[in-house]
Amino acid sequence: MNKYKKITLDGIIFQNPTFILVLGTCPTLGLISSAFSAMGMGLTVLVILTLSNVIISLLRKLIPNEVRIPCYIVIIATLVTFARMFLDKFIPDLYEGLGGFLALIVVNCIILGRAEAFANKHTVAESAVDGIAQGLGFTLALTAMGIICEFFGKGSLFGLQIMNFKIGMLATPAGAFLVYGLSIAVFVYVVDCFERARRVKANKLARENLLKEAV
Amino acid sequence: MTVKQFFKGTAFKCLISLLCVLLVCGVFLTVMNSLLAVSAEERFERAIGKIYGKPVRTEVLAVENYNTNANIEEAYKIRDDGNYLIKSKGFGGFDNGTVTCWVVVELSGGSISGIGKVLIDSNERQSYIDRVSASALNQFGELYESGIYYTQDLITNATVANTKTAICNAVNGAVDFVNAKLGNVTEDPYKDFDYIANIQTVLSSHIYNAEDPVGESVIFTVVSSGYGHASNFTSEITVNVSDGTIRTFEVTACGSTGSSFDTTAKNNVAAFIGKDLDGILAILGGNTAYPGNGSGAWLEAGASESTYSLYNAALFATANYEKCVPAPDEEGGEE
Repeated sequence: MNKYKKITLDGIIFQNPTFILVLGTCPTLGLISSAFSAMGMGLTVLVILTLSNVIISLLRKLIPNEVRIPCYIVIIATLVTFARMFLDKFIPDLYEGLGGFLALIVVNCIILGRAEAFANKHTVAESAVDGIAQGLGFTLALTAMGIICEFFGKGSLFGLQIMNFKIGMLATPAGAFLVYGLSIAVFVYVVDCFERARRVKANKLARENLLKEAV
Repeated sequence: MTVKQFFKGTAFKCLISLLCVLLVCGVFLTVMNSLLAVSAEERFERAIGKIYGKPVRTEVLAVENYNTNANIEEAYKIRDDGNYLIKSKGFGGFDNGTVTCWVVVELSGGSISGIGKVLIDSNERQSYIDRVSASALNQFGELYESGIYYTQDLITNATVANTKTAICNAVNGAVDFVNAKLGNVTEDPYKDFDYIANIQTVLSSHIYNAEDPVGESVIFTVVSSGYGHASNFTSEITVNVSDGTIRTFEVTACGSTGSSFDTTAKNNVAAFIGKDLDGILAILGGNTAYPGNGSGAWLEAGASESTYSLYNAALFATANYEKCVPAPDEEGGEE
């Protein structure tokens, strides 16, 4: 499989940061009561993650191993501060919606995790693709759960009122926790089924090849 | 280790790497800050956009405060409709924080006819500010009555009582400011009193009782701001004029988060009876700041934040009773 395709599929599905690696749980639980905030947080993390992966990959041979973590944190904090300034200037509604969670991206495990686990060992292009893929995985997961929580918890979608029926609990962090847990269960089940089918197919092919060789 | 070895060593490389990263990041952020900083004018235009949906012509007014529970930060007269737009910071929020609101005060026939809109601008330490719904803010317009002050009990659909208090104070401050501009100055009677930082002064009152059979007294009805999780408390405090000691202290409205805390706080006021200002101050060793949960003998009972609210009421009453005693040639003393 093409390595970029593998990195992309890993980021979005097989190593999805939210459902499989269970990283970035704090903003997930805090923000998925609103689909707009959830998507905004996802996209902000996507941009910061991609930029931090690229910068860290660029500097990986210059930064001594002993001080790599403090350097990564300074770079990530700089990018987060820049993102805050940018959002406050150009998208103030999203800036207010994200509140304190925006500053907390500095300590988001996904970003530091990818910097340490991927960007400092791979090329700039690979790191960029990884950042985009992981960010997309995070964004899609948050947006999907945001839609579920907002629709059932507030009866609206992206702020647009759709129905009067609502289960108020789902719009709270406790409800978000419930939706998060159920989403993980469903996602893992689907991925498991997919991988099992892929394994069965691979085994079948291998068996057929062995038979052919035997004949 | 020689100097040469140090400069060739890993420690020096680490130091230089860290400094370089810090320097580049610092320069980048400084440049970005100057490019992306949001000016006060821009924030004002945003607020106008949210309130009116279009640009409006405004006239800047001189700022003055007529309510000790709020601070007027900016004031404008809207030339298009003749209404007032006030940026007011309300005190007494959760954890002694504040809420700053934009308040549109509508005029009709030269007097205030209602509250057009209340918009939250910013806050300090109000972590649940998002729970104040738009419908709660709309109630300021729906419930407006001339001469009344908004209280946290009046506004529903917002679950955090202390945050509501700060918003109410901001709106009350804006109304008082506009009233003053219209010539109806409602001076805060307790403006020059001591220990008013944690007292809802416009909601408090006192009566001087010269005919008291036990002895001359001042009876305060004090609404003290909540602290931390606790909300406002209303207490009726009788202070002896002869020596400034508290004769009775009755809590008439509680603001704790649970009935057990209410009961504990009510029991804790026994510690204030018979004490004058020095005695009250001595409870916290002369320091009036919140001492932390479970500190001090009377705070250990598990209602520290509620009791601190009542402590502030006791401070206010004992520190100011003399100011409520009319001079010999005056009659009565009710405010």
